[in-house]
Amino acid sequence: MKKQLFFQSAVISTILSYLVIFAGGLVRVSGAGMGCPDWPRCFGRWIPPTNIDQIPSHIDATSFNIVLAWTEYSNRLIGVSAGFSIIILNIIAIFYFRKELKLLSAAVLSLILVGANGGLGALVVSSVLDPFLVSLHMILALILVSVLSYACIESYKGIHLEQFKDIEINRTLSNSLIVFWILIVIEILLGTGIRTNLEFISIENPLLSKGELLNALDSYKYLHSILGFSLLFLSIYIYLKLRNYKLYIVRFLGTFTLAMIIVQIFLGEMMIFFELPQLTRLFHTWGSSWLVGIIIILYNCISNEYVK
Amino acid sequence: MNTLNKKLIIAFFSVLILGLIGLFTIHKATQSRVSNLPVISKVPDFQLDNFDGTSFTEKKLENKITVASFIFTQCDGACPIMSTNIGILQKRFSDSDELQFISITTDPDYDSKSVLKDFSDKYSANDNWFFLRGDIGDVITLAEDGFFLSADLLPVGHSTRLVLIDQNRNIRKYYEGTVDANILELQYDIVTLIDQG
Repeated sequence: MKKQLFFQSAVISTILSYLVIFAGGLVRVSGAGMGCPDWPRCFGRWIPPTNIDQIPSHIDATSFNIVLAWTEYSNRLIGVSAGFSIIILNIIAIFYFRKELKLLSAAVLSLILVGANGGLGALVVSSVLDPFLVSLHMILALILVSVLSYACIESYKGIHLEQFKDIEINRTLSNSLIVFWILIVIEILLGTGIRTNLEFISIENPLLSKGELLNALDSYKYLHSILGFSLLFLSIYIYLKLRNYKLYIVRFLGTFTLAMIIVQIFLGEMMIFFELPQLTRLFHTWGSSWLVGIIIILYNCISNEYVK
Repeated sequence: MNTLNKKLIIAFFSVLILGLIGLFTIHKATQSRVSNLPVISKVPDFQLDNFDGTSFTEKKLENKITVASFIFTQCDGACPIMSTNIGILQKRFSDSDELQFISITTDPDYDSKSVLKDFSDKYSANDNWFFLRGDIGDVITLAEDGFFLSADLLPVGHSTRLVLIDQNRNIRKYYEGTVDANILELQYDIVTLIDQG
């Protein structure tokens, strides 16, 4: 019962954290990063202005744009909701699971990460969107959802011990999942690196078309594609191994991983041929971030110390 | 239908709704860049002199996007920062012949044509940045009534704002010339105006 409560709280925190990543991606693709030039408030207000007259006179209203302000502020609001949800998770962990080190440490670590990332958000704004800080902001979010996914699957296993009793342990498969997780994080880093470079080039050369921007990128953009196809092969292997498992969730997530990699390669190619439509960019980043959490869940499903 | 399938359908529709929200937000954000540049006022007729001796009137604003500023060469506070920032914009848009810059001195007594030329040599890398001087009364009138900028206690009291003027001589927006975020904003708005044609 208590573990069920922890599990539900962890699931809600994970979903909210993924929503923050979505909202953050939306901020980036719609160029709303400076929608609120101050932090944590927006033009000096806790509720962003809906009209330029609402901006206090001591604050420069030059950059006020209602759409961008509310887009940026939504990211912060969802971030705060995720923060509160993780605080509740910690309260549950401290009350009931002080002795279960895995659950407790996952909860505490997620709280540290969400707090640090909120602070980093402030730095992002005060640095006028320093591309390195923006990417670091994204990476911290990926680590956060990994930790929360771990909290989800660990508490789920605690509730449904019987499902995992007979699960087949396959060292090679477990190791390939670890490799997959590392590679997908590197792949996302490369992707944000490409984006960062595109932004640098675009700031210095505001008149370049999107196609010209892609051409101006260093050759390491190919590395992103090569790694993408390597992940495809790895996910085919993982899919083939997992489809024989009795546990439905394992089979499902194996299939999902393969499907998601195919979708991501397709979206990635679309972005090159159709000059980076913004919505594609958003789902390319967001969809990849799902895999980060899913691989953590898969790994913990099949590498089971409850089998004794 | 089992509960997992139900959850999957809910998840699918949630993602679909998020996609629509994303599409809507991106569309609105793109639109808002244009609607955020309302026509504020038309620049009135004026006549000033460029440092090379040629005359510069309001007619030269036609068919060009212009970034206007007020400076004076002996100013050691905001003007060097503003001028450096304008220089950066000039460099970034060096491939465009649709953009020009004007800096009007608020200290015409000291800022002779040759002083302005030296100032130009220091900051400008192209011939699309005009350093203008004229009768101080005309400059005050132009600043206050033409650009709606404060011009008290000149030369020091000039405004540090940059003015974006479109191809039809309309003032579209003001930017704090010493704030990096504002300069980037100005850069995006120039691109928006160029794209609009």
